[in-house]
Amino acid sequence: MPPAPTISDPRFAQIEGHRPYLMRYALSQLRDGQLAEEAVQECLLAALEAIDGFGGRSTLRTWLTSILRFKVIDLQRRAMSERNQVELTDFAAEAGEEGWLDELFDDTGHWRQAPSAWSDPEAAFEQRRFWEAFQGCLDKLPPAAGRVFFKREIVGEETNVICKEEGITASNCWVILHRARLALRSCLEKNWFGKEAAR
Amino acid sequence: MEKKPPAETVDCRAASRLLSIAYERKLTAGESESLTYHLDRCLMCRNFDSQLKFLHRASEKFRTGNG
Repeated sequence: MPPAPTISDPRFAQIEGHRPYLMRYALSQLRDGQLAEEAVQECLLAALEAIDGFGGRSTLRTWLTSILRFKVIDLQRRAMSERNQVELTDFAAEAGEEGWLDELFDDTGHWRQAPSAWSDPEAAFEQRRFWEAFQGCLDKLPPAAGRVFFKREIVGEETNVICKEEGITASNCWVILHRARLALRSCLEKNWFGKEAAR
Repeated sequence: MEKKPPAETVDCRAASRLLSIAYERKLTAGESESLTYHLDRCLMCRNFDSQLKFLHRASEKFRTGNG
């Protein structure tokens, strides 16, 4: 074991700052808090050992994610051999009927709450508080929707790969993603863009 | 001149679903036609379209940590 990194090492704080993102990534892949925690821990330790080799060709987050990906695959293999498959989830409840759409659209198929025009939305990218709001909105998604959205839009996995991993049909996958997008836009409109306009 | 309506017209509920599905697969010619016809006439769905693009860009930024 290499000597434990100390808190005073500035690189420690830099890497540590990405922990919440890495935890989201690990959870989306492993669906088990304890395993995810373990993967992130191993990733951060490995990253500290290898940080001198990080050339800055990609962002620090991208580099950390590539390390984490290997730790996740490793743990998936170990978990598979130790016990049976991770149980299949909550999808029926989340994707099944489309009654939830009735809350968003009226009988004539119109928006109940019209999406408004967000002015210069990308200016938000520069603001730390926007990213807090963004993560807060991700956290409010139902678990399966959050996981599928993370894999699809944030990690950029192919839809058919996600369907296979999650054991669902493509059309279920689309319904879940659609729902996640509707929920996220509504959450951001309420918690960010609405407030922005009021400021 | 006013364009001829598509074979199948869609409401906001269906249009929003097509906008989302377009991120997963190519829409059929009929779907695209119905969607374009609707968007030309519906500001709310055009706003939703822009918001989806924003979510897509934000997710990309979040991935690299460049936010």
